[in-house]
Amino acid sequence: MTTSQRWQRILIVLGCAVIAYAVLAPLTSLDGAQALNLPLLTDKLWFRLATITAMFVVMATAWNIIGGLTGYAAFGNVAFFGIGAYTTGMLIAKAKWPFLLALPLAPVAAAIFAVLVGLPLLRLRGHYFAVASLGVGVAVGELVQNLDYRGEPIFGGASGLFMPIFAVPNRDLYFFYLMLGAAGVSIAVTWAVIRSRFGYGLIAIRENEEAAAVIGVNTTAYKVAAFALAAALTGLAGGIFAQWNVFIDQENSFPIAYNVEMILMALLGGTGTVFGPAAGAVVLQLLIQFLSGSLPITLDLPFVPEDAMPVLAQVVLGVLLALVVIFAPRGVIDFFGGRSRLTIAYLRRSLRETSI
Amino acid sequence: MADLVQLVIIGLLAGGIYAAVGVGFSLVWGVLNIVNLAHGALVIVGAYLTWQIFTASGLDPFLTLPIDAVALFAFGYVVQRGVINRIIRAPLLFTFLLTFGLNLIAVNVLLLIFKSDFRSVTTAYSGAGLDLGGIVVPYIRLAALGIALLVAAALALLLNRTRVGLAIQAVGSDRDAAQLVGIDLRHAYAVTYGLGAACAGVAGGLIAMIQAITPTAGEPYTLQAFVVVILGGLGRVSATVVGGLVFGLVEAFAQSIPGSGSVFANAIAFGVMVLVLVTRPQGLLGRLR
Amino acid sequence: MKKHILALLAVAGLVTLACGSGSNQGAQGSTIVLGAPLGLTGSLTKESALTKQGYDLWLDWINKQGGINVNGTKHPVTIKYYDDTSNANQSAVLMQKLITEDKANFLLGPYGSAATATDAAIAEQNQIPMVEANGAAQSIFNQGYKYTFGVLSPANKYLQGVLDMAATLNPKPTKIAMLSADDNFSLEVAQGVNDYATGLGMQVVVYKKYKNGATALTAEVQAAKAVNPDIVLNSGHLAEAIAIHKAAKEQKLNAKIFAYSVGPSTPDFIKSLGKDADYVYDGSQWTPQVKYKSQFYLSVSDYVAAYKAKYPGEGDPDYHVAESTAACLALQRAIEKANSLDAKKVRDALAALDVTTFYGRIKFDSRGINTFKPMVVEQIQGGEHHTVFPSDVADKQPMYPTPSWDQR
Repeated sequence: MTTSQRWQRILIVLGCAVIAYAVLAPLTSLDGAQALNLPLLTDKLWFRLATITAMFVVMATAWNIIGGLTGYAAFGNVAFFGIGAYTTGMLIAKAKWPFLLALPLAPVAAAIFAVLVGLPLLRLRGHYFAVASLGVGVAVGELVQNLDYRGEPIFGGASGLFMPIFAVPNRDLYFFYLMLGAAGVSIAVTWAVIRSRFGYGLIAIRENEEAAAVIGVNTTAYKVAAFALAAALTGLAGGIFAQWNVFIDQENSFPIAYNVEMILMALLGGTGTVFGPAAGAVVLQLLIQFLSGSLPITLDLPFVPEDAMPVLAQVVLGVLLALVVIFAPRGVIDFFGGRSRLTIAYLRRSLRETSI
Repeated sequence: MADLVQLVIIGLLAGGIYAAVGVGFSLVWGVLNIVNLAHGALVIVGAYLTWQIFTASGLDPFLTLPIDAVALFAFGYVVQRGVINRIIRAPLLFTFLLTFGLNLIAVNVLLLIFKSDFRSVTTAYSGAGLDLGGIVVPYIRLAALGIALLVAAALALLLNRTRVGLAIQAVGSDRDAAQLVGIDLRHAYAVTYGLGAACAGVAGGLIAMIQAITPTAGEPYTLQAFVVVILGGLGRVSATVVGGLVFGLVEAFAQSIPGSGSVFANAIAFGVMVLVLVTRPQGLLGRLR
Repeated sequence: MKKHILALLAVAGLVTLACGSGSNQGAQGSTIVLGAPLGLTGSLTKESALTKQGYDLWLDWINKQGGINVNGTKHPVTIKYYDDTSNANQSAVLMQKLITEDKANFLLGPYGSAATATDAAIAEQNQIPMVEANGAAQSIFNQGYKYTFGVLSPANKYLQGVLDMAATLNPKPTKIAMLSADDNFSLEVAQGVNDYATGLGMQVVVYKKYKNGATALTAEVQAAKAVNPDIVLNSGHLAEAIAIHKAAKEQKLNAKIFAYSVGPSTPDFIKSLGKDADYVYDGSQWTPQVKYKSQFYLSVSDYVAAYKAKYPGEGDPDYHVAESTAACLALQRAIEKANSLDAKKVRDALAALDVTTFYGRIKFDSRGINTFKPMVVEQIQGGEHHTVFPSDVADKQPMYPTPSWDQR
């Protein structure tokens, strides 16, 4: 057994242990478990961090379907998140639907929207598609905030939408499992897609769209379907987010920064793979949380005045980002599974491949 | 009628600033194939430079513009040569992410140095202007438009009439062929990015005179540069200038819609952009690359 | 394999890891932990910095007194801050961190209505009182939340004082041009003006909504100029107030009153505009000239002096600072009244609070917002802030009407 294989086994065992902990530990917060004097393994902070991390796992994995597999650099996926959030938000806040009835419509609405904008947009290539999809992302947020009908805002306007807080029992546990479920679904969908005829078609489009058309792939249908699939998953995360967060408005449902973050996560983990984006989401989310001080372990640089710390943390984030992009362009997933090892030679090779 | 003329003037004057911001962005995108998300940050670096020199020495802000250009050229050259050249062959998204990281660094370093206070360059002639029978033309904005056109013209001349410029164009159209004929790619790339940064610096100096600046004030300009460049069509300086002016006009007319029309200025501008992209990917008057 | 470990060690060496700091106060009572997530980076940095100044000013004072008095024992206080990068979703995470990890006894508000709305839901779920000073939008307080209290006068009152003042002036201005940002808070301010103006015999002749944070506002100003208004109102933020005033000069928009909801009270406004800042009014939660009789804490003049001593070179404290200090005072007084650190009891004490401080009266209505404190109007005269309305707290007469741009 080579060293790398041993590493691979260790990592798989570790990964399974972490996942098992994440799935089982929350159960100790149930009243039944507490009555049995089981030790409490989670708290509300744990739940919030875990839920938001799972949310990004969904978004990064969903982006991977259009961005990683199909090779179309979508830069406005946050529009689908927002549409999902506002679909459940409107149904709950205005139509008084129960949450579980409203949630399934979130991915549906996002997917329908993706088909509508995807048909014209997906004719564009490269940068042009990226910029156009960014434009759609910005415009949708603006419309949702400002559209009026007879002087009354249609979607709650700038005041946003408030939902009842205690709509479900054990809400922390509930939303964590829901978001984790969504993450599981998106990973499973990616897994299934990659192994299907559909997935081969998408990869063919990524490698050479003209050639794909020649061998009989209906490129338009494939691209739009991939876009809609990504939108549906992202919209599902948005729909869960709405009721979880209780309050939604344009600012928290259409944050332009999320566009960048989800792509960053996918790249960091490794695009085009099944687990890469998820791994990237976990790593980057933990890093962001670490730098902003919400983890039990905090950053404490010597000789830095306390006021300057948060600003420096942002600089550190920028530097790390640049380093990853420059030195590890295939993502962290490349180091797992014995494909590559983090050595000086690896870094040199990465540099040589991409620089002039 | 007078209202309409005034609105057109407002749009064109605002458009001058967008053109100034856009030409550097367009050059870097067109030649290096980099969508430079740090462009707005470079603009604001230029703005702070003008503000700092003006505050410290009282030098007329227009005279600081050459200093902005030189300083940002040097800065841009170093950044491209030292950092961005390292990933120039990587897929498209990596340049997005690298420049996003650079933007994060630049904005927060500015925040460390200058704090979050709003700063503005206010001279004796700030706000004054020509009054042509009820139609107002502020001096500073007029001069800004003139300088934007001048910068664009100088850049066009440089690209078409000098050895360096022709080398840059050669690199832009075929990297490998350019290398074969003996062009130093690293240098050519760094000069290109430096020129883009210099244009951003000048635009920033102008912006410091017409609005209050903070370290985060550059981000909207990056977003607008996208639209400007797409509207005009990528790769030609004159096309970007037209794109800037058109964007200024679209924005002004969107803002003049009664009631809440102006909150859709971004949606309208991006809507026009997407329309242009889908129907005329070469831009309003550009050529397809 | 060794290289992996080396890399890890290198990272660990670069970053010193430290866990939460233990307190070292001697014989006194346990330390009371307060917490607030603020936008120490990102787009709300300026306003968040002012908020932090207000909190810290009180913190210094209370610890100099030995702490908050509960049942005869003095409890020292610490405030934990985190950077939410001006992002409301991150604010929620950090609120939970404060509650769970830092065991914050009570919460202070973030900056901005969106973050406040999100955090209010967190406070409610955890049943920890949050006293906030920087989210004036009423929609937050209409949700029936029991644990969120706002010391500010609600958004719709922001510019009503300016209209009250205008009604007393001669010649009476009647035509209003209203320019409003499209965020929650600003729209409520604008709505307040719309509802109030007709009762005073004035009318809003042009109403323009623009994108929050926009700096290209010349076309809006031109639309205002087209109707030749007596009063130009802006409900928005500092950046936009500066942009509108610059554009007003450029476009030679002459009105009798220029009044902005947020902006003129900060030193940045005067520094950015120089002499052009003169004559501008703003509706303010508080000014350094108000004459409230403080029942505890500092008097108004001592407060201004304390601020100038701690933050030299920043001029007078503006109302963002004062209202943030007031949030701390409300909490302090409620803890003392409850005579307990129990969250529920302090919440009840907050609900029953009625006290006058340097900042004015603090009393919450059934929704938890302070509707009992009037707004004041200040005007920039000769490069300084002066209070001009209501007359019982004013230190100067309003300079009216504003001279036209070519006669300054």
